[in-house]
Amino acid sequence: MTRGVMRYIRLYGSFLRFSFSKAMEFRLDFYFRVVMDMVFYAVHLLFFTIIYDHTSMLGGWTLDQIYVFVCGAMLVDALHMTIFANNLWWLPIYINRGDLDYYLVRPVSSLFFLSVREFAANSFLNLIAASALVVWALGRHGGLDPVGILVYLLFLVAGTFIHYLVRITFIIPVFWLHSNRGLDEMAWTLHRLSERPHQIYPGPLRWILLSVLPLAFTVSYPAHVLFGGLTWQAVAHLLTVVAGLFLFVVWFWNLALKAYSSASS
Amino acid sequence: MRAGLFTRVVSLEARKQMSYRVDFWINAVMGFVAELTIAYFLWAAIFQARGADRIGGFTFEGMALYYVAAILLAKLVRGQSKDLTIARDIYEGSLTRYLIYPCSYVLFKYAEHLGSLVPALLQTLVFGVMALFWMQIPGDVQIDSLSVAMALTLVVVANMLAFLLRFPIQGVAFWADNVWSLNVMLRLATELLGGLLLPLSLFPPAAQAFLAWLPFPYFFYVPVQTLFGRVSVGEWLAALGVMSVWCVVIGAIGAMVWRRGHRVYTGVGI
Repeated sequence: MTRGVMRYIRLYGSFLRFSFSKAMEFRLDFYFRVVMDMVFYAVHLLFFTIIYDHTSMLGGWTLDQIYVFVCGAMLVDALHMTIFANNLWWLPIYINRGDLDYYLVRPVSSLFFLSVREFAANSFLNLIAASALVVWALGRHGGLDPVGILVYLLFLVAGTFIHYLVRITFIIPVFWLHSNRGLDEMAWTLHRLSERPHQIYPGPLRWILLSVLPLAFTVSYPAHVLFGGLTWQAVAHLLTVVAGLFLFVVWFWNLALKAYSSASS
Repeated sequence: MRAGLFTRVVSLEARKQMSYRVDFWINAVMGFVAELTIAYFLWAAIFQARGADRIGGFTFEGMALYYVAAILLAKLVRGQSKDLTIARDIYEGSLTRYLIYPCSYVLFKYAEHLGSLVPALLQTLVFGVMALFWMQIPGDVQIDSLSVAMALTLVVVANMLAFLLRFPIQGVAFWADNVWSLNVMLRLATELLGGLLLPLSLFPPAAQAFLAWLPFPYFFYVPVQTLFGRVSVGEWLAALGVMSVWCVVIGAIGAMVWRRGHRVYTGVGI
């Protein structure tokens, strides 16, 4: 078991080394990406700043609380862009071209290999910027318990994993649809539901976002736990959602592989 | 470029865009419903928290209608704004084949751009008619034949502006390997400063006055306000004037980037 885990960690280390050397080959793209993410952060912060010019509360949160929420969203986005986004971009292309053979014959999980193979070193700088923004927002809010902040950060990491699991669920249908991007565009559109506090949605929609399509867990629920206090029910809820969704994705991936037909061998 | 060839390219592109019909309609319906749901409940929460009848000159019903119109008109203005075919032509070297075609590259791409608008037009019609049946039109929104004609004229010019913007942005591919990030930056800036994320009347007055000189408000906010009958003929003419100037400026920048880019372009192995 331990040897198996160590093997995956060593493999990931090789992915990291390769990705950093590759990023340095495309320097202009590297700088463009940095500026793009800065624009992304500015747009989100400005959006809520303008809204709070016209109200003092949104979903029960003040401006300081919403800044913590927004900066949390940026951190999740930066983690996703750095670890998963490039890989998920290439996945439908490999499937449609019949190029999966190379990955299916490797002696490691094909889902793991295809999900994390390419580490976006050019987004790594933005991960630092997003982390700095989270520190700024938490400092601006003040009066938060350090343990609560640690739990919040752990919840955000789990939220990043949920974001990846939801997105790959919408990409996997490309095995049957054979379209350019599967239902990825829909996944991105639905992801926008998570960019607002989940308390603003009515009961049934909020229930969906906390269960079958658990987008509220990516950013909003962690902030909700930070401001409302950690309970065992919240931890159990999160663990159930992560485990349930992960098992579903593994099952769905294996089912989809049966529909795959190679074009290159 | 002959008119026959132009219409043929438009038709081919339209069919290409509609080739994956299941995907197309699922993405279109879900996209529209999700965007509207987010805006609707966001503003429901704000109006409830504020306890006001109007915010930024909009009632709650007016605000919901604003988002319906903005989302639908944005489809017509932007077309396939995520499309990076020009940059791809340059980077992959397939621009070479266009250079020896007996027609203008710009016109060829414009025909493709218009063809890609056909699905957007279909979506706008279907969702627009459904929204008109389901939604209440508040008293301060006056949609009539004149306001529709004025708004559509602005949409046509805004669409041209969006097309012209592709050349200076994607032309950077002559020097850079990947311009996807530049396109995303433009989208993000346009959505906020153009009034797709928020009506610009919510911005501070100084910001509104400054933005009026930039091309962004004319992509979404001004066409929607025109459709709602809130823009006088004089203001509409002024908007057309500003948009025309920006078309010329952006067209000139695009032409300059294109000319300089051609000097460094190499289509190896094509």
